Amino acid sequence: MAAVTRGGGAALGVVALAALAGCGDLQGFGGPTPPLVTFNVVVNGDLPPGASVTSLQVALVWGAQWQTEPFCILPPEVGTNAATVIAQGCRKPFSFVPTLVAANIPVEIGVPTTLSLYSLPSADVMVGDVTSRIAYGSLVVYDDRDGTGTLDLASPHRTPRGGRGADEETDTQDSPDVVYGASFVTMIAPDQRVSFLEGPYTPSAFYPRAGCDAPMAKFRVLSAGGFIDDDPLMVAMQGQLPMEDPALCDDQPPDAATISITLEAPAQELQEVSCVEPRNDSSVRYREPPTSTPDFTGRQTACTHLPTFEAGDQPNLIQLVVTGRTQDRCVGLTHYTLRGCRENVACPVPDWDLTNDPPAWWTCLPN
Amino acid sequence: MSEGAVRTRPALPITFVALVAFVAFALVALGALTGAARAEGQAPEAGIWRVSSRGRLTIDGGLVLGQPAALGTGLSTGVGAGASYGRSLALGVRAAWSTATESSLAWQVTQADFKLRATGTVQRAVGRGRFALRLGAGPTIVHETRLRNQGMRAGLTGADLETSATTTLAAGELEGVVAIHIAGPWLLTVSGGPTLTIIDGAAHAGWTALIGTGWQP
Repeated sequence: MAAVTRGGGAALGVVALAALAGCGDLQGFGGPTPPLVTFNVVVNGDLPPGASVTSLQVALVWGAQWQTEPFCILPPEVGTNAATVIAQGCRKPFSFVPTLVAANIPVEIGVPTTLSLYSLPSADVMVGDVTSRIAYGSLVVYDDRDGTGTLDLASPHRTPRGGRGADEETDTQDSPDVVYGASFVTMIAPDQRVSFLEGPYTPSAFYPRAGCDAPMAKFRVLSAGGFIDDDPLMVAMQGQLPMEDPALCDDQPPDAATISITLEAPAQELQEVSCVEPRNDSSVRYREPPTSTPDFTGRQTACTHLPTFEAGDQPNLIQLVVTGRTQDRCVGLTHYTLRGCRENVACPVPDWDLTNDPPAWWTCLPN
Repeated sequence: MSEGAVRTRPALPITFVALVAFVAFALVALGALTGAARAEGQAPEAGIWRVSSRGRLTIDGGLVLGQPAALGTGLSTGVGAGASYGRSLALGVRAAWSTATESSLAWQVTQADFKLRATGTVQRAVGRGRFALRLGAGPTIVHETRLRNQGMRAGLTGADLETSATTTLAAGELEGVVAIHIAGPWLLTVSGGPTLTIIDGAAHAGWTALIGTGWQP
C-alpha cells in the first residue's frame, strides 16, 4: 500500500507540472492560414488621360476553353452587311476568355505587391483529365467602380427572342468596372500568364504555346511572345497549333517571377478579358423572332445564309444576325431564323416555323 | 479568407449529459444493489463460470472513446489500460492513447491525446458484478499535427504544408465503472463519465468512455 501511495504522490506531481505547462503551441483550426501560392505583381504605366479611378485592383482570372462560332471566321457573305457585323459583333478568336475570378487585391501604380491564392483552381477551370490537366490565368487590372471588391464579369446582351417563355428571359446590366490592363489579353501578343499543371503536360489547343517548352508542374508564371505565324487562324483551321518564338518563352516559379502589367486605354478587346461566353464550343443557339420589333439601336444587322453544315435540307433559310450595342462591354451575336429549334436549326420537327407568317418587321427574305 | 465552418463544442453535449446520467445510475445501482446483495447473498457458481476473483488487484484495458482534449470537435478513439489496488477504496494508475482527425477548409488537424492518471475508486461488489466511481487526475499530453489542405497539390513544403506541436494539459475525470465477472478472474468492464481539461486557464468539459476486459486474480 505504501508503494501505491508513493505512486499517487508522483502522479500528483505530474499533475502540478502539467498545470504549469498550460496550453502551448496547439492551434487546432485557428492561427494564420498560409497561402497556397503567392504571385509578385507590379502595375506600370499611366492611366489614360481623364480617367478617374475609384479603386484600382488586380484580379486573378482563370481562363475558359473557348471556340468562336463559324459565322465569325467564315468568309463574309458577299452582298450583305456580314463583314460589318463580324467586325462589331465577333470576339477575336485568339482572345483570353475568362471563366472565374479567383482573387482580388488593391494595387498602386508602380508599387510591387503580392497576390495570394488560398484555394486551387477547381476542376471546371482545368482542361484535361485527372492525370494531366492545366489551368491558365490572367492578372487583370481594373477599376472597381461598383465597390464589390471583385472584378464583375459581364456577358453579351442579346436582343429578345419570341415564342414560349420569352417573357421569362432577363438581361443583366454590365457592372461599371473598367479594365485598364491584363497580363494575358490575346495569344497573338506577348503575355505573362499563371499556370497550374497537374501531371505531365499534354499539348492541346487550350491557350497553346507550341514552340515553348512544356510548362512545369504546380503553379508557374509563363511568358510568351505571341504567335509568330502570319495567319494563325489559317494554321489552326488546318489542324495545327500556331507557333511561338522559342526565344521569348519563359517558365519561372511564382516566387522568382514578377508579373508586370502595363496600363492601357480601355479598348474593346481589353474589356473582353472580363467577358464570359455563354457557350464555349462554337455552337450557335438560334432564336425565334419576336412578334414586336427588337430595339436595334446601336446594333448592326445582316441577313445571310446559314453555313452549309448547319442548314441541312433548308438551303434557302436566311438568318438575321444582330450585333451587341456599341456601348456594351462585351461583343456578341444574336441569330434569328424563321424556322428551327434552339439547338439545331435544321431539326426535322421545328420548335417554331414562321416561314409562312413572318413578323411584320422581318426583312430577311429568301433570294 | 474564410476559414469555413468548423463545428463547435456545444455548452452541454448530449453525450456529456448521458455520461453524467450513467455515473448517477452507477451511484444509485451501487447503493440499491448492495442492499439486495446483502439480502440474497451470492448465488452458487460452478464450472468455468465460477467466479474466482477475490484479490485486491484489478487490471483492465480496452477501447477508449471520448471527446478530444483540445480539438473542440470530433471523436477521439484509441486504447486505454489501468490497474487499481484495494477493496472498497482502491488507488491506481491509468493510461490511455487516442487520436482524432477533423478538417476545416484550410486544415486537416490530428490530435493524439496521451492521458496519464492517478485514480481513486470507491467500489462495491454485487453478485458477479462490481460498481464503482473512479476519480482520476493527471496530465494529458496532446500532440497536434496540422496538414494544409490542398498543400501537397500546390507544391507546398515545410511549415507551410505541415505543422506539429506538443503540449501538456491538466485534466481529470469522474467515471462510473461497471465490471462483470465472466469467468474465473476475467471481467467485462464498461466505464464512462465527464472530463475536465484546463486549456489556457479555462476549464473545458468533455467526456470519455471505455469498454474492455479486466483481470482480477
